[in-house]
Amino acid sequence: MKDLALKNDETAAPRARFELDDRGFDEVPKKYRKFYRRWDGPDDTLAPNEVLCPVCKIVIRSHRELLPGDRVYCMACMSRLTVVRGKAGRLEAVLELG
Amino acid sequence: MEEHGPNLHDLDPETFCDYVHSFQFWFDAVQGYLEDRSYGHRSDTPTKELDEKSRDNLITVLCNYCVGETMALEGAGGLIRVAPNRATKIFLSTQAVDEGRHLEILERRLTELGVPRVGEEIERRASPKLFEFHRHLLAYVDAGDWNKAIFAQNVILESMEFASFYTHSVHTLETDPKTHELLVGIIKDERRHIGFGQNELARRIAADASLARELAQVRKDLDPLVFHAFDEVMEKTGAPRDRRTDTGRAYLQAVERLGIE
Repeated sequence: MKDLALKNDETAAPRARFELDDRGFDEVPKKYRKFYRRWDGPDDTLAPNEVLCPVCKIVIRSHRELLPGDRVYCMACMSRLTVVRGKAGRLEAVLELG
Repeated sequence: MEEHGPNLHDLDPETFCDYVHSFQFWFDAVQGYLEDRSYGHRSDTPTKELDEKSRDNLITVLCNYCVGETMALEGAGGLIRVAPNRATKIFLSTQAVDEGRHLEILERRLTELGVPRVGEEIERRASPKLFEFHRHLLAYVDAGDWNKAIFAQNVILESMEFASFYTHSVHTLETDPKTHELLVGIIKDERRHIGFGQNELARRIAADASLARELAQVRKDLDPLVFHAFDEVMEKTGAPRDRRTDTGRAYLQAVERLGIE
């Protein structure tokens, strides 16, 4: 399903939406588990709705495709993060300072 | 969005921060990985016999971990009084509970390994550098120096512990399932502690750049102590040298993120 209200500013296309499933991440309250999964190391390919927490190395997942400027939360380490495009062109998350 | 359920990432920052610093959040989170554990491991986790050298090395490593957990317990408890707000006080109370649990299960593991007088063994085996680090940390806590104490405890100490426990847990997966299980449980708690330290200081440093310089001096004083102690521990775990390098790198990434040189 596409959400027309939320556009991808980089391509002007609607953002892709994702159903999240429980991947067995047991470090947060049950109802929030689907928003996280373990990272399998550098060979682990992240989906467009996923970004790695730089603090605790857990994969953060969202219902929608992530883009630079989005805010995400890592509940495992309680971090507030902003999505940015890293030097290698990949999406990364950095600590919010405000 | 309703079709997919509420999106956690749409919460406003204040709501998120209040929730994750609460005792209720802590309770709901730890239930996921501690509910079926007794002293950090499942009742049916097999005990594997260790040869004498491995057992002796493990005892030394656990003694060092006990010192780390004791200082974090005393530090977290002592800082509640000087914490800047209610949410932070509550979070520190959950951290103190975590650290108390870690100390208890590590001491219990030492008893299982046949150590008769755990307290004396810790005094005898743990690195003097860790005891020195402990004195520095308590001095910051006693002085009510929130920034220095949180940096020493939740950034330096917790980052090194997190990385060491992770490396050690990988190494014990096949050889010592009981120690592996209790380390994995501790690591899950440590994520909250390192995250708290980095988030707390990142915002303070962003508001006052001079704080980074102040904390750089703390780092200069404490880095040699903590690196020396954890290098000794890694040596005893038998972890390959490249894994030890990873341990150091994880800590360096944390301080780099904060801009503390």
